[in-house]
Amino acid sequence: MNATLRRFKQPALVAVIAIAGLWLVFNLIAFAFAEAPLATLARAWGGTWGTPYGIGQVLFKATPLIFTGYAFHIAQRAGLFNIGAEGQLAAASLCGGAFAAQLPASTPMPLALLSALLVGAIVGALVALPPAVMRARLGVHEVITAIMMNRIVDVLVPFTVATVLGASSLRTADVVSGATLPRLDKVFVSLSGSAASAAFPLAVALVVALYFWLGRSRPGREMQWIGKSAEACRAEGISVRNRLILAMLLSGAFAGLGMSATVLGYKGYFEVGLGSGAGFAGIAVALLGRGHPIGIVLAALFFGTLEQAGLAINARVPKEAMTVLEAVAIVLVSAAGRVSISNTEQPANSASNEGDSSKSEAQGGGPDGPEKGSTRQSPKTKPDTEFAEVTPS
Amino acid sequence: MSGVFSLTMVAESLRISAPYVCAAMGGIWAEKSGVVQIGLEGVLLTSAFASVAAAAATQSAVIGLLTGVCAGALLSLGHALLVEKAKVHAMVSGIALNLLAYAGTRLALRGLYDSASNSPAIEGFRFGPVGASGGALLGRVFADPVTLVAILMAVATPWLLKKTRFGLRVRAAGENPDALSAVGASVTKIRSYALLLSGVACGLGGVHLAFDQHRFESGMSNGRGFIALAAVVVSGWRAGYAVLACLAFGALEALQIVLQDDLRKSRGGDLIQLLPYVATLLVLAVAAGKSNAPKALGK
Amino acid sequence: MGERGPVIECSDVTMRFARTLALDGASAVFSPGEIHAVVGENGAGKSTLLKLAAGSLAPTSGSVAVGGERLRPATPAEAARRRVLMVHQHFMLVGAFTALENLMLGNEPVQQGGVLNEARARREVTALAEKTGLTVPFDTVADALGVGDKQRLEILRVLYRGALAILLDEPTAVLTPLEADELYKVLRSLADEGRTVVIVTHRLDEVVRFADRVTVMRRGRTVLTRPLDRASNAASTEDLTRAIMGREPPPPFSPPDVESDAKMAIEIRALGFQDAAGVTRLRDITMSVRAGEIVGIAGVEGNGQRELVHAIAGLLPSCSGSIAVAGEPLPFDADEARAIAARRSVVRVVHEDRHTEGLLLDATVADNLVLGQLGTVSRDHEAEVVSRRVKSFGIVPADPSRLAGELSGGNQQKIVVARALDAFLSKGTQPGCAVVISQPTRGVDVGAAAAIHEAIGKAAAAGLGVLIVSADLAELRQLCHRLLVIRKGEIVAEFAPSASEETIGRAMLGAEAA
Repeated sequence: MNATLRRFKQPALVAVIAIAGLWLVFNLIAFAFAEAPLATLARAWGGTWGTPYGIGQVLFKATPLIFTGYAFHIAQRAGLFNIGAEGQLAAASLCGGAFAAQLPASTPMPLALLSALLVGAIVGALVALPPAVMRARLGVHEVITAIMMNRIVDVLVPFTVATVLGASSLRTADVVSGATLPRLDKVFVSLSGSAASAAFPLAVALVVALYFWLGRSRPGREMQWIGKSAEACRAEGISVRNRLILAMLLSGAFAGLGMSATVLGYKGYFEVGLGSGAGFAGIAVALLGRGHPIGIVLAALFFGTLEQAGLAINARVPKEAMTVLEAVAIVLVSAAGRVSISNTEQPANSASNEGDSSKSEAQGGGPDGPEKGSTRQSPKTKPDTEFAEVTPS
Repeated sequence: MSGVFSLTMVAESLRISAPYVCAAMGGIWAEKSGVVQIGLEGVLLTSAFASVAAAAATQSAVIGLLTGVCAGALLSLGHALLVEKAKVHAMVSGIALNLLAYAGTRLALRGLYDSASNSPAIEGFRFGPVGASGGALLGRVFADPVTLVAILMAVATPWLLKKTRFGLRVRAAGENPDALSAVGASVTKIRSYALLLSGVACGLGGVHLAFDQHRFESGMSNGRGFIALAAVVVSGWRAGYAVLACLAFGALEALQIVLQDDLRKSRGGDLIQLLPYVATLLVLAVAAGKSNAPKALGK
Repeated sequence: MGERGPVIECSDVTMRFARTLALDGASAVFSPGEIHAVVGENGAGKSTLLKLAAGSLAPTSGSVAVGGERLRPATPAEAARRRVLMVHQHFMLVGAFTALENLMLGNEPVQQGGVLNEARARREVTALAEKTGLTVPFDTVADALGVGDKQRLEILRVLYRGALAILLDEPTAVLTPLEADELYKVLRSLADEGRTVVIVTHRLDEVVRFADRVTVMRRGRTVLTRPLDRASNAASTEDLTRAIMGREPPPPFSPPDVESDAKMAIEIRALGFQDAAGVTRLRDITMSVRAGEIVGIAGVEGNGQRELVHAIAGLLPSCSGSIAVAGEPLPFDADEARAIAARRSVVRVVHEDRHTEGLLLDATVADNLVLGQLGTVSRDHEAEVVSRRVKSFGIVPADPSRLAGELSGGNQQKIVVARALDAFLSKGTQPGCAVVISQPTRGVDVGAAAAIHEAIGKAAAAGLGVLIVSADLAELRQLCHRLLVIRKGEIVAEFAPSASEETIGRAMLGAEAA
């Protein structure tokens, strides 16, 4: 079979299964609310890609998801599961917003903007620090600690807004004008009224830049190697601890930068709950986007579309319908593609299965056979067609 | 500072702890069998809603209770099948489960009751003495069938795990699934049953939550699933200690209620909510390295 | 018992994994009442054949019959129903369970309602243990048991599950010879009771001493089956060796001469190490390797070899004593990355298990060839370095973009050896630098093994001090100028390679074997 064709066959299959499943659920929900599915779909389309305003809103909704999605991916490359983007983003939004509000009103644009973004990134990284250090130094799994950090931020954010900042309306003061990101409708007039801001191109540019840096730089490559086998990296003198911490902090910082879309590009202040949900949705975006920057941007646009479509149909069918679709999409995509987060599982564990390490022969096979530790699926699972064409040396 | 050492305090602690204990037992069953379950929150929420919807429709608290528990069990079983059969990453399935429960219940609230926030009131169980005295509160706690089943569950879980064939196999599935399948047992089957039981336990917590408020409120689980998960981790995956951790977390929350007036002045009371999370982080930091986690958790 | 074991018949079975043909029309009949040994080189298909007989694998073609009836479905459960049970090479025990819980698992005696009847289980296994002599401390958790106890526990378990045919995959690989003899005594009594006993091993001496019948496998085929005549031990061993190899052995490798005034490469003085539990793993090790010299470390596995290699590599945080290479003292440091960086210019290490400690199986060959060396191999030269390493070490296929996991064990091993040696060989070394290679040819085919041996010879000729740790005594005797024997963390003896295996083996075992 043509190799290129094969490369696209599987994602295409996943897409078909996912779309079919989503359509089914969508129909069920529409019927439950006594609405015609096609009419509802038309309404959803009209509210999203059907009008320039809708497109702008989709871009706006997608922007934080690009940040949180790529943030999850950065950690995942190193074998870490950063479930903490939710808290990292919330804390970064609050601190970045509060900081930008405290700046002198005359602060020039580049300085105000950059410092606000920097504060967001640093706070995001700080929230990721305890899970990072506990994982790298003590071996405590990052998921449970990151969930705890999410909850802690969840309590601390409204508390801080109410007591420390003394605000009665659960929001911070307006950020100085130099720290706001311009709306895109200044350039593309037809987007007028939508909340899409320069945060969108910023997100795309940062993702692309980081993609190349991670793929080529020494820290980036070493992080990825650790994701494949920390043990081998340790034995070859790579500082696993430092790289793991770096990956988690980068991930937190990138998630924190998501505040650019909501605080700096949209509201101009932070209020409790602003941007919530983007952290968890980012995980889905990363899984759907398969770690490729284009994939992640497209996946973010897809989820952004669902969120915006929810608002468009809300009068007839509750917007939560689209969140249900998000959940279904996550499951379908993971199940259909068996989204391999194999990065998070150390190959070291996988070699143990049928009781064969390099000492024994079952997988070592004949003298020229591949010698790869199998995972829990026993060798009984049918031969991997991926390799079927490769002629043994 | 009245009331810290009162019957009211005891009663409130028990009442508040009950859903935590249920959810934590759900966590124990899931994780002891080797399946990571961060979807306890979603199970709580779903079963709370299902129990209210069924109770409201049939005017029967018993049917509500059963429906709620069944909903939790089914959701939990779905998680098991996704993880074991479809090889979906357990964390991903858990996140999807939470998202689905949150949005699904809100969707259903709108659909069934045309409300964005809560269901109409239901009767639930009303047994035991009336009145606002501490003794009456305590009496009501112990007269509540849901609480009684929860207590039974808390007592039975460690015993079942330790003393029965099923418990032995569940623990084996969590410690070394290869060893279990080597003796001819199906790891998928054992984990599915364990998750079913996990859903029953956690679902009971959801029912308690809803019946206690006599209605469903959007997002009413309010992080309890995560606190229960914290209790499981802090206890080192030991059912008995997890119950104690839940009682402690419940007592902390009761303290907030009992001391409400004093605390409201300072607002510092909100910070008490941090304690379970901070305690979990500290325990993990101190106990790192001698983890009691099932060896094959998540594999 | 009195029941006789079933006849297990594998007829013309073929087993294909992904790209590998593990079995290629193998046939064997295992009969009750005898100990049947299956021998062969690594990768000959011994374990695969055993797994087919036990239902752990289903053959791609051909058939497996138990008691004259085809094994269908080919599952372990069905095999167990026909009373055929397997003891896996790697223990299938739940580490956190007590021995008794492990014994019960899968075959739990229960009262009503599924409640475990622990008392009955204890009674039954105690009786079984007394009858067979397989005593195990029932209330100790499996993790705390020694390998001998674990092995006995595994066998006791298959008996408790009612095995009439017992298939054992390399059960003696982890045992001391004394324990192995004990094990064979038990197997003998089981066979005498009429059970079917099949054992995979690569220790030919055991085969000729204890087995009734032997099947030799080579490249997925069964090439020879015959009864053993215990009267003519020596002749049997030689015949078997020839059958296993399938040809005359390759011309022996001979190490290059060491110059008499060669300077010291590795100098270890009074090295000691205690693990986290306070157990002494290395005790007062003093030894040296000169430039151009190849020194072998022999010993029963788990006697401190791993720790010694790790100490030199910089993976042990705190040791007493000192190690110097090329005159430079090597620091011990809790920060492993720093410790390894300090060693990089003078010593490189190849660890024993290439799957866990050597390779990223899901990464490309190119990445694997420069793993950990991004600090020294610059980006501009990386492609050049990679292609040189592929070429000079004969890695096949010569495509660096291939995933390491797709390569054969031999070529994977070439990657890790290339990574360690190339930096020294390509630049021309300052004399006295060193390489440490643990299990250089484990699970590697003959061709790759010869290539690796040649590379080791080249390294020595270039003036590197080479330290080899291997479980394969024959390999060490062939490769090395000198052999040191390590036992319980101490160097207990030194031999010339011409010393007999028996003599060296006795030193490995210490007083027990005397």
